Amino acid sequence: MFRWWPVNPSDHKPAATNASDPVFKVRNLGKVYGSGHAAVRALSGVDLDLRAGELIVLLGASGSGKSTLLNLLGGLDTPSEGDLRYRDWNLGAADENGLTRYRRDVVGFVFQFYNLIPSLTARENVALITEIARNPIPTTEALALVDLLPRADHFPAQLSGGEQQRVAIARAIAKRPEVLLCDEPTGALDVRTGVTVLEAVQRINRELGTLTVIITHNAVLAEMADRVFTLSDGRIQKSHTNNRPRSVTELAW
Amino acid sequence: MSLLDLKLLRDLRALKSQALAVALVMACGLAMMIMTRSLILSLHTARTGYYERHRFAEVFSSLKSAPQSVSTRIAAIPGVAAVETSVAMQVSLDIPGMIQPATGLINSLPDRRETKLNRLYLRTGRLLAPAARNEALVSEAFSDAHQLRPGDNVSAILNGRKTTLRIAGIVLAPQFVFEAPPGSALPDNRSFGVFWMREEALAEAFNLEGAFNTVALTLAPGANENAVIAELDRVLEPYGGLRAYGRKDHPSDMRVSDEIRVLQGLSFGFPLVFLSVAAFMTHSVMSRQIALQREQIAILKAFGFTNRQIGLHFVKFALAIVVVGTAAGVLAGWLLGQKLVLMYHLFFRFPALDFHLASGALVAAVVASSIAALVGVIGAVRRVSALSPAEAMRPEPPASFRPAFFERIGVARRFGVSFRMSLRNIERKPVQAALTCTALALATGILVIPNSFRDGINHILDFQWDVLQRQTVTVSLVEPGPARALADFRALPGVIHAEPFRAVPVELRAGHHSRRLGVTGIPADAFLARVMDADNRHIVLPPQGVVLSKALADTLSLRPGDSVVLRVLQGKRPERSVSVVALAEDFAGVAAYMDMDALNRLLGEGDRINGARLTIAKGRWNEFLTAMKNTPQSAGVVIKEAVRESFRRTTAESIGLIQMIYLTFATAVAFGIVYNSARISLSERARELATLRVLGFTRGEVGGVLVGELVILTLVALPAGLVIGSLMAKAILVSVNTETVRLPLILTPANYAFAVLVVATATTLSAALACRRLNQLDLVGALKARD
Repeated sequence: MFRWWPVNPSDHKPAATNASDPVFKVRNLGKVYGSGHAAVRALSGVDLDLRAGELIVLLGASGSGKSTLLNLLGGLDTPSEGDLRYRDWNLGAADENGLTRYRRDVVGFVFQFYNLIPSLTARENVALITEIARNPIPTTEALALVDLLPRADHFPAQLSGGEQQRVAIARAIAKRPEVLLCDEPTGALDVRTGVTVLEAVQRINRELGTLTVIITHNAVLAEMADRVFTLSDGRIQKSHTNNRPRSVTELAW
Repeated sequence: MSLLDLKLLRDLRALKSQALAVALVMACGLAMMIMTRSLILSLHTARTGYYERHRFAEVFSSLKSAPQSVSTRIAAIPGVAAVETSVAMQVSLDIPGMIQPATGLINSLPDRRETKLNRLYLRTGRLLAPAARNEALVSEAFSDAHQLRPGDNVSAILNGRKTTLRIAGIVLAPQFVFEAPPGSALPDNRSFGVFWMREEALAEAFNLEGAFNTVALTLAPGANENAVIAELDRVLEPYGGLRAYGRKDHPSDMRVSDEIRVLQGLSFGFPLVFLSVAAFMTHSVMSRQIALQREQIAILKAFGFTNRQIGLHFVKFALAIVVVGTAAGVLAGWLLGQKLVLMYHLFFRFPALDFHLASGALVAAVVASSIAALVGVIGAVRRVSALSPAEAMRPEPPASFRPAFFERIGVARRFGVSFRMSLRNIERKPVQAALTCTALALATGILVIPNSFRDGINHILDFQWDVLQRQTVTVSLVEPGPARALADFRALPGVIHAEPFRAVPVELRAGHHSRRLGVTGIPADAFLARVMDADNRHIVLPPQGVVLSKALADTLSLRPGDSVVLRVLQGKRPERSVSVVALAEDFAGVAAYMDMDALNRLLGEGDRINGARLTIAKGRWNEFLTAMKNTPQSAGVVIKEAVRESFRRTTAESIGLIQMIYLTFATAVAFGIVYNSARISLSERARELATLRVLGFTRGEVGGVLVGELVILTLVALPAGLVIGSLMAKAILVSVNTETVRLPLILTPANYAFAVLVVATATTLSAALACRRLNQLDLVGALKARD
């Protein structure tokens, strides 16, 4: 259902890096919210290496720490302990401006509730990102990738949930991000709509080679991943590598 | 305390800066209202009490001279309760330490009894000894200006004889609450003072023994003032009586009334604007608060709270703001009122001018601000009532947008995305946008008003003193003198130009309008005293006809070409019909001018002059003044720069203070409006802004999106505000302009630029303050929450 995408994913990668080097190198990562008696440990002792082109699924119940991990990877929060590196960049030591720069240039986000700007059309929501990105994909092409060109001039209130989420994906990839982070991307959608959204995510991962991290509590999604990490009580309890990840349409819902 | 009230307190704490912004605007309006109403009350109370205790007369007249026996005829006029006659003479004074001569008005006091009317208030020293010959009392305004004390001496030239007067006491008099030289709208306490002497000594010096030239009387209850005035005029006519007038035309009382009238105008207009703005701000804060608490309201309703209870909860919210605003407003109004009352001591001399807090205004303030707040909250509360619990518990439906008007007509296509967001947000909530815009325009407008008054006054001063009157000094004679007196003036040391003038009291009548005033005769080719029209063209006085000031022509409903009956009120009292040849621009109020020769022909007394305007060579100023001090026939010297300086020290300073207060308030309002709008915008769009931050927009870029809307609204509001401000200034001028002083509407680019600058600065600062809150945006939380 998606058109072929003629972009070489390696275009936007830093020249000096080796493709096999991990994009993220995470060592003994921990996060504590609050202090003293009110301190809550959300994450501890996480070790991970995530590589370019991988599709990663973080599984876990609510309160397992998966959202905290995603927020740290996305530069929305800073760790309390351990080492978090994107390429050669120590994200743990980055300041507010550094993290903004990082989110702007490296990360594409897809949220559970889409978070589109209601006063902008689908096209404009995507164009908003192309305004600030260094080397963006043309807006129409990003929308074509998620098959939404015919609805490009509709406002979010005029789109279905699935359509809104596909706009959000187009917006996320329009900057040619090296990392695509999806927080429960199908959480607010019915199964059929969820499938179309996940197909878009998988397609982008495969065709653009974008390192994609999906967090979900839906174990079915694990089968589409290259690697699956299961979190519980703030720790990685289990990791599993799929030698043959399934396509979204093959998943048993 | 009920739990709902506890919630109220906590909600208020969370919203404190916005609630304070609303309370601040409310407080500004209330402070202004309480300040002005209290000043009115204070002036009113002081005046009424003073007049009563010191038996201020109700009808006044002056005449050439009449024997004392005439006073019994006056007392016999039906409706007259009490009569007091006296002698009043204008004299030249020699004040120690003052190089130029000053002018004094010496009034007589009965020799062996207390005066029946216009009784004096003794501030320090003592009253005159019975039949004292070389003692005088001096008015406080003049003694303050010269630091005179009881026991000091002043020299006065009484009918050509230099006499030393010893000051016995410093006094106030009800007829000199406002003390200005006769015919002048401005006080000049350094060059003009009022004195009192025993009658015998004063009358003797002026050969008026057993006679009087001033009369004051009070009316019996129910007496017809106009009938008494007419009869008094008839009785005094043979004695050179000028037309009598009532209290409302008394120059001192008129100034106090004018001041009260100005305050009344201000006590209504400004607070109305401020309170309307406060109502709007309350509305926007409450609407937002209710929208944010939609789900809480639904839960309360589901638990069984009634609409009334919930409505009341939000009404209390608004009333809490009223309480803070009222308290601050009352306090500020009270403090400012006390400060301004002190300032009135510069102009109005009452034995005591105490500050009285207008309790009526206090009640009105509470009612007005409560109404403003309730008007603001009512729509929002009604929306709560209309909400069913089930519906309210669902999140609000997503906002629907469409391309903005400017995009639909193709204008906005090349603007950036964030600009389009701003346009669409404005168009989606047109009422809110219009109200914000109106409030900003009002804030701009109220900034224009005080400065336009200042510019108007400066314009008058420059026009009056630089364009119209170009003399250095004006000297007047005790009695009209022959034309050759001009040669004597010209012969004084240092005189460059000397230009004679003639001044005669007349009554002008046109239809059923009439007005008593002095007509001034000046040479047709006058160089120092010029008459100008509204277009700043010099009017050359023709050999016939009269030129009226615009104010006078309006009063008499006359236009150029009309004829007016001119009756001279002295000498042979000729009466002629003359034509109005032109209208002069004269901001000092009513005035009439004639060619001096024409006026002398009309009077039939030969070529006479009342004095001359002179320009003096700079280096010979002291020489000239010393010579003037020793010129017995001169009754007074008015130095233009001294008057101007005195004006700067008093009127200009007080206007400066009032202007400061208004500017401060207007700035506070501008700030409050912008800050409130920015905060509401921030709260409504927190999720959207957080999303942008997550997507990698910098704080500056997100701040731009936040304030873009405000910037657009400000840009629209600024020109509208300048227009509104100009119209408001005009309306206020029309309501406060009096027959005696007419302030022109002067709107300068500098004034406009200032208003724009203040609003732009307020916008920038409050937008910056709101943007600082962007740091506190909960990025993660915003992503989890649903719309």
